[in-house]
Amino acid sequence: MTQKPLDENMAAAEPVLEEAEDYSFLPIIHDIIKCMDKDGPDVHQELNKLKTKLQEAREQISAMPGVDTSPALQESNLRSLREQVRTKNQLLQKYKSLCMFDIPKPS
Amino acid sequence: MNTTDNILLRAIVYCGPSANRRHCLTLASACYFSRMRKRGETVMAAAAAEKSTKEKLLSTLDDIEVLSRELIEMLALSRTQKLPQPGEDTDILELLVQRDKEFQELMQTAVEQGKVHQEMQALEKEVEKRDSDIQQLQKQLKEAEHILATAVYQAKEKLKSIEKARKGSISSEEIIKYAHRISASNAVCAPLNWVPGDPRRPYPTDLEMRSGILGNMSNMPTNGVNGHLPGDALAAGRLPDILTPQYPWQSADVSMGILPPHHGNDFGLEPPGHNKENEDDVEAMSTDSSSSSSDSD
Repeated sequence: MTQKPLDENMAAAEPVLEEAEDYSFLPIIHDIIKCMDKDGPDVHQELNKLKTKLQEAREQISAMPGVDTSPALQESNLRSLREQVRTKNQLLQKYKSLCMFDIPKPS
Repeated sequence: MNTTDNILLRAIVYCGPSANRRHCLTLASACYFSRMRKRGETVMAAAAAEKSTKEKLLSTLDDIEVLSRELIEMLALSRTQKLPQPGEDTDILELLVQRDKEFQELMQTAVEQGKVHQEMQALEKEVEKRDSDIQQLQKQLKEAEHILATAVYQAKEKLKSIEKARKGSISSEEIIKYAHRISASNAVCAPLNWVPGDPRRPYPTDLEMRSGILGNMSNMPTNGVNGHLPGDALAAGRLPDILTPQYPWQSADVSMGILPPHHGNDFGLEPPGHNKENEDDVEAMSTDSSSSSSDSD
C-alpha cells in the first residue's frame, strides 16, 4: 500500500494549503483518507462534507461578480472605461470654459 | 496523451466488468472531458486564452471532484485487492494537488477581478453622469442656436428692409415740402377761424377751377401770368415742380400754416365768400352730401 508516500505528499502540500485554506479541498480529502484508514463511522459524514463544499464552491463561483470575462478582457474594458471618462471630462471642461461669443479681431 | 488521461484510462481498465457502472461512466466522461479539453487547447489556443475565469474555475472544480472521487474509491478498493498499477494513487494525488493549487490561484484571480469589477461599476456610473451632463449641455446649445438663428434671420430681414428703403429713399426736405403743400390748402384740417357759412372748402371750388390752368387752358401762356398761377391749384400739389412759381410760403424761412388757402387776393381774385352768387354756388355745391365739409370727418 502506498499510504506512506501518500501521507508524505499531503504533508508537503500542507504549507501551501495553510495560505489559502478557504479554497482548498485537500484538508477534507485528507480527513476522509484518515477516516478510511481508521475505519471510523465518520467516513460518510466527511464524504458529505466534501460534496457540500464542492456544491458551495460552485454556487459561490456562479455568484461572483466580474468573472464572466477573462482577466485580460476585463483589463481592456477597464482601460476603455477610464479613457471614456477622461475624454468626456475633457469635452465637458472644454465646452464649459469656451466663450461662444468671442469675435475674432480682423487681422 | 497526458498524465490525466493515462490515469483515467487505467482506472477504467482497472475497474473491469465487476466495477460499478456509474463509476465507469464517471471515469469515461472525465476522460472524454479531459481529451476534449486538450483538443480544444491544441486547436484553439487563442480561444482557450480568452476563456472566462468562471469557466476555468468550474472546469477545475469538476476535475477536482473527479480526481478526489477516483482517489477515494481507489483507496477503498486497495484495501480489498492489490492495485494493478502501483503508484497510481500517488499520480492521482499529485494531479489532485496540482488542480487544487490551480483552483486556489483562480479563486485569487476571481477575487481580484471582483475588485476590478467594482471599480468598473463606479466608472460606468461616472460615464452615465457625464453622458447626462453632455446631453444637458447639448440641449442648451441647441436652444441657444435656435435663438441665435431666429435673431440672425430677423436681423437679415431688417437689413433687407433697410436696403430696400435706402434704394427708394426720398429726401426729408421734399417730404416736408409736400406736407406743407398739402396742409397749406387746409385739406386735412379746417382753418382755425372757419365757421359754418365760410365759403372755403378743402377741395377746389368751381370758381377756383375755372380760374385755374384747366379752366384757362386755351388762354393761358405756358409760363402762366408773370410766372404766377392760381395758388390753390399749386397748394393742392397738382402742379409739377417745373411749373412751381415762387410763393412766399415755399421758402424755408416761412413758417407753416401762415397763409390761408384762399390767397387769391394776392393774384387779384375775389374771395368767393363775399359774393352772394358765389356763396349760393358754394352752398349749392356744399349741399352735396359727399362734399359737405360739415358731414365729412
